[in-house]
Amino acid sequence: MEFWNPYTETLPREKLENIEFSYFKNLLSYAKANSQLYKDKLKGINIKDIKAFADIKKIPFTYKEELRKWQEDVEPFPYGGLLGIDIANVSSFRQTSGTTGKPVYVPESYESWQWRIESWCHILYMAGFRPRHRVFLPFGYNVYVAFWEAHYAAEKLGCEVVPGGALDTKGRVNKIIELKANAMCGTPTYLLNIAQEAVSMGIDPKSLGIERALGAGEPLPEATRKRIEATYNCKMFDHIGSTETCGFAGMCEAQQGLHIVEPFFLVELLDKDTLSKEVAEGELGVIVITPLGRRSFPVIRFNTNDVAIKGPSTCECGRTSLKLMEIVGRVDDISKIRGVLFSPKTVEQLIRSEFPEIVEYELVVTREDIMDKITLRMEADAKLGKDKAAEIAKRLGERHKIKTNLSCKVVVEPSGALPRYDLKAKRFKDMRGKH
Amino acid sequence: MDEIKKEIMKLEKSAEKLKKLAKDNNAIRKNAEIILTFLYILKFITPTVNKEA
Repeated sequence: MEFWNPYTETLPREKLENIEFSYFKNLLSYAKANSQLYKDKLKGINIKDIKAFADIKKIPFTYKEELRKWQEDVEPFPYGGLLGIDIANVSSFRQTSGTTGKPVYVPESYESWQWRIESWCHILYMAGFRPRHRVFLPFGYNVYVAFWEAHYAAEKLGCEVVPGGALDTKGRVNKIIELKANAMCGTPTYLLNIAQEAVSMGIDPKSLGIERALGAGEPLPEATRKRIEATYNCKMFDHIGSTETCGFAGMCEAQQGLHIVEPFFLVELLDKDTLSKEVAEGELGVIVITPLGRRSFPVIRFNTNDVAIKGPSTCECGRTSLKLMEIVGRVDDISKIRGVLFSPKTVEQLIRSEFPEIVEYELVVTREDIMDKITLRMEADAKLGKDKAAEIAKRLGERHKIKTNLSCKVVVEPSGALPRYDLKAKRFKDMRGKH
Repeated sequence: MDEIKKEIMKLEKSAEKLKKLAKDNNAIRKNAEIILTFLYILKFITPTVNKEA
């Protein structure tokens, strides 16, 4: 088995934790001296009191709302109190997507950017990207970070990168064929859209020659991952990250969970209710993360609000980093409908694993009087007739009830009626307001 | 790994010296700074494992 950095990727756990603790303390001192946010946040804390790994819990969490607050009307514009370096040393601007509110502006220095890229190299290398790959990135990257990271990290690995912005989906299919691209990074949704477009052009996606692909920007349930593999006859890998934290975990060839890129990141998985203790292997925890070497934008114990199942620190690949076995979703995504806990990911899993004829769907939750209603809008493959689509809708309604304990109304939409997404898909729409 | 770490330290000293020598030459100074950026990464990915942090 090959590693990007055999030294750090196979260190015994105890040594890794020792290094991460040392990096954590350095970052605390640095942030307290250089970031307005942490000057304020850590003012009652003597860093000398952080003597052992367990003392990390004495440091307060950082929340996304705080990041927003420290950018509003705080100089220097536009980064405010989050900046950890002289603004003259900022070399690139990025921002969060704004899915959950006002976007956060993220400053990168040349050093911090290269640090991010190095971390991403681990993710791509784990996913088997090598110099033989011509990597097609089917997006205009704009101010969003993930595909810039993928681009520069693939370049650093020695791959050949093809930026696929400013083309429509058909143009991208043609570009893949023209250049014989053999690897891709994309949102799972869009990788499926590209395949669907190829089919509508009379091209079998398997014939495109894509050997491997890496998902970004959206959760990748196992059923969707396998569907993409079957569609392209490729190997599909997952990773997780965010603009605030960088890409911090990726899937290796064993395809069993995501390895945290250590010692770049200190990742804690904390009990969802108390946020005070580390969960055990196999349990569900909230991901709290500290990027340990990024000085332009220090973020300490960032509560991501993402929930994952903690995995082991052993893997057949030989890496010793901790693993996240499954990203369950965001704490906010798990809502109560008619008193039943509901995760949209369950429906994604159901559709991708059992209904290959469904090409797009959308879940809408509304409230009529006091009753919550779920409407599942679906589009079936255009080649199927009305009767067949109605039959699929009936079966989907039944399976939805079994999988979620909630009944729903399934509506068959005409081909092309539902929105298609390049970046983060928004298939779950909760229209109930505050509940 | 010890030999690698020694070499990184040597490179760092050398890049710092180059940066100082080139204080009146933007191009050379900037490239020396870029070498120092990668030395920061190199040091980060070759951490020293202490018994006590």
